[in-house]
Amino acid sequence: MQRDNGSKPDGVSRRQFLQGAGGAAAGSMLLGLSQSSHGEQPATGVTARSGVRQYAASGSVVTLQINGSPAQLTITPETTLLQALRELLNLTGAKEVCDRGACGACTVLLDGRSVNSCMMLAIDAVGHKVTTIEGLAKDGKLDPVQRAFVDHDACQCGYCIPGFVVRSRALLNETPAAKSDTIRHGLSGNICRCAAYQRIFAAVEAAAKGGLK
Amino acid sequence: MTYRSDNHVALENDGPRLDIVEKVTGKARFTTDYYLPQMLWAAYIICDYGDAHVRKSNIGAARAVKGVLEVQIDKQDGQYHGDRLGHICAESRQALERGLAALDLKFRIRNPKTRLEDERTPRDKLTPAQNDAEAQKALKESALAAEAEFQTQVQTHVALEPHGCVVDYRGDSAVAYGSTQSNIAFRNDLARELKLRQDQVEFHCEYVGGGFGAKFGCDSEGVLAAKLSKKYSRPCRVIRTRKQEHLDTGNRPGSIQYMRIGLSRDGKMRGGKIATWGSVGPTGGGQASAGGGGGGGVRNPSRYNFGAIAKVHEDVSLNGGYPRAMRAPGNPQAMFAIELMMDHLAEKAGKDPLEFRLLNETSDIRREMLKVGAELIGWSHRKPNGTTHGPIKRGLGVGVADWGNGRGNATIGINVYRDGTVEVLSGAQDIGTGYRTMIGDVVRTHLGLPRELLVVKVGRSDYPEGPASGGSMTSRATAPKGFMAADLAREGIRRLVAKEWGIQKVDDIALENGVFKAGGKSMDWAKACRLMMRDRLSFSSAEDGQYWKTPTGSEAVQFADVSVDTETGIIRVNKVVALQNVGLPVNRNTIENQICGAVIQGLSFCLFEDRILNRQTGAMVNPNMDMYKIAGPVDVPEIVPIIWREDRDVGVNSLGEPPVIPTPGAIATAVANAIGTQVRSMPLTPDKVLAAIASVGPAARKAKAP
Repeated sequence: MQRDNGSKPDGVSRRQFLQGAGGAAAGSMLLGLSQSSHGEQPATGVTARSGVRQYAASGSVVTLQINGSPAQLTITPETTLLQALRELLNLTGAKEVCDRGACGACTVLLDGRSVNSCMMLAIDAVGHKVTTIEGLAKDGKLDPVQRAFVDHDACQCGYCIPGFVVRSRALLNETPAAKSDTIRHGLSGNICRCAAYQRIFAAVEAAAKGGLK
Repeated sequence: MTYRSDNHVALENDGPRLDIVEKVTGKARFTTDYYLPQMLWAAYIICDYGDAHVRKSNIGAARAVKGVLEVQIDKQDGQYHGDRLGHICAESRQALERGLAALDLKFRIRNPKTRLEDERTPRDKLTPAQNDAEAQKALKESALAAEAEFQTQVQTHVALEPHGCVVDYRGDSAVAYGSTQSNIAFRNDLARELKLRQDQVEFHCEYVGGGFGAKFGCDSEGVLAAKLSKKYSRPCRVIRTRKQEHLDTGNRPGSIQYMRIGLSRDGKMRGGKIATWGSVGPTGGGQASAGGGGGGGVRNPSRYNFGAIAKVHEDVSLNGGYPRAMRAPGNPQAMFAIELMMDHLAEKAGKDPLEFRLLNETSDIRREMLKVGAELIGWSHRKPNGTTHGPIKRGLGVGVADWGNGRGNATIGINVYRDGTVEVLSGAQDIGTGYRTMIGDVVRTHLGLPRELLVVKVGRSDYPEGPASGGSMTSRATAPKGFMAADLAREGIRRLVAKEWGIQKVDDIALENGVFKAGGKSMDWAKACRLMMRDRLSFSSAEDGQYWKTPTGSEAVQFADVSVDTETGIIRVNKVVALQNVGLPVNRNTIENQICGAVIQGLSFCLFEDRILNRQTGAMVNPNMDMYKIAGPVDVPEIVPIIWREDRDVGVNSLGEPPVIPTPGAIATAVANAIGTQVRSMPLTPDKVLAAIASVGPAARKAKAP
């Protein structure tokens, strides 16, 4: 589920990391990765163009930029961004639901684009700006997407909603005047089991029409 | 017409749900969001196959993993994929995951029972129903008869918040968080496990990430969390993984349904025989996990007037996870078979399917709803089966349902504070249905106050008793008590005003739009509340009083409009008109939202969802959310929710379950109308659609020709 129009962050995803132990398949994957990141600036000094970084298996101290502030934390290399946010930083808005990029409940923004934080290693977020659902409202004022979700009662149990709101925000960053079809396809990586879809579509359409500030 | 398409309902509440801001900002705390200091992580060790024996395990290696506190295997034999063999407890999530990996269980697989069709007792071997002779007679006397067999798959609940519990045992008390549809039952189960009194367990479920019938009681997760929290005197967290959610937290059982029904010459059903088989767990039904329930039963026959029916049913044990109540248990699968059978019979009788249903309908309300729905979907333009021109065939179909509306126990508490705040307290839980909003709007509109003055607190065991949220019970059990308690609160504040104004009869004072009025004087609510020379006035009611009103049948009728691509077999649902009787409608948003959600769940069940067991190993091959397909944004049709009637003379009635029932039948009959033949096995996947088309195509006709 790639939502970032091909511009993947440097480094390896959790799944690729996990699969990386396994020979030829991993080799071709890493090749593909270096091609897709062609022309991208390395995110930090830590990341060399060769893509080789070193983190201690027992854990290392990294600094993540979360919702506009630096957060220092000690993490092991296999820690996902989602685990770091929820379990170490108490930012529990993003949810762990499928734990394999199939439902979108863990969606956060990475430099303004949406990623499934369950499929990304925390160490790969170093040097990027991470925005979670908790960071969308500014100065006590809801983001226009959140406002639209409120106005349209776009929710039932609410467990998936942080993911939908963040993904909708990213979608409208990409396509500010998104219409019905774009919205449906743009949200197709998110699942709402209560199925409050009618209201969610209506909210995102209204947010798109209202212009986003 | 007895409906209004604008749905402006009796109480005229159009506001969004009361907790929507918490939900869109990530502030709403669900059970899974509690990570307590010094918390332990624990999980069940599960059987990886359908029927298997643990041949080898490396408990020593698992115990040696840094941070692992205990690893215990209680049994060596698992009877289904997900069967709990033991548990592991660790200091951290990573230690837990590493410990499980180190355990490296190896199994010897036996011969699992995986298919309902293979394991069931053949129909002619089942013990006949007591009234078999009567049904036989009805069939004999029928002018014509038809038979068919239908099959439905196992569906898993897939609530997005997994089953789970966080327990913090503190010696003579405990604080616990659980994802549940019954916080009272959950609290009681935990008190029993911890050997504490009911009042010593403070239980929280302010937010619940969906239940759909699978979350009552503290379950195996609560049992383990309680045991380990008590043992180590530390908080303990047991949250199921997505995989375990599919395997071991319940499912809607699969079914096979055989029907043979006779008709009289005028098209009325005379009676016949029905045999149903339902899939249950390896040792029977209702043992999903401690405290669970649900067998393999199928509610066929129901709704229509079938005449004299001899019904037999068999629960068939498979080596798969146990069934559990799932949103209208036994019903959507029954109505899938019944609606297809109705169409099949209508065709035999040479009648239009709608006309045939009106003839055999048991409910006057639904008869009315059928006519209105037919108009809204454009039934008069429905083409004969399989006659759309071109490769994309269009079709219309219909399905019906209803639901019971019995009384239930509950207490609603109201605190009116001196600053005018009205605090509504209820121990029932909001599982996503909008209960918090419903009870708040009942009290607020009954008092005539603005939403700003209202605070609603639900989902804690120390709040006044609330019902379990099962059987679409919550609203109908609590709403009358909400009206009663609001009456008491109005009375209490009115007395203060009467005393201030020197009025003898409180009834002479009116409360309108938050303002007390009498004889030219007026005083707003907040000012009146300041007259109380104390912190607050508290009111509560456990009685229904005059507010228990004749219930409706929560009747439901749905019409579906589908397109079927006869070259690929792909079904697209274009539109569903969903009429729903809810009795007295309270909040338009939450009602419409829930109707539409139910339709989409019904669609998802009908077209996509399927628990697939490997026939050799009994392992579920798709225990995740990428291969277990659930309807998503691009699958959603246009849905027209119609709240039936705005009637103040009926009570607040069931809503959660009835609208999920008619959808599979409506879609399946629409597909049959489109392609000219019925697909009698759910889910209606492209391969089955193509096979059905092929079975009546030119090649099949040629093969059948003598």
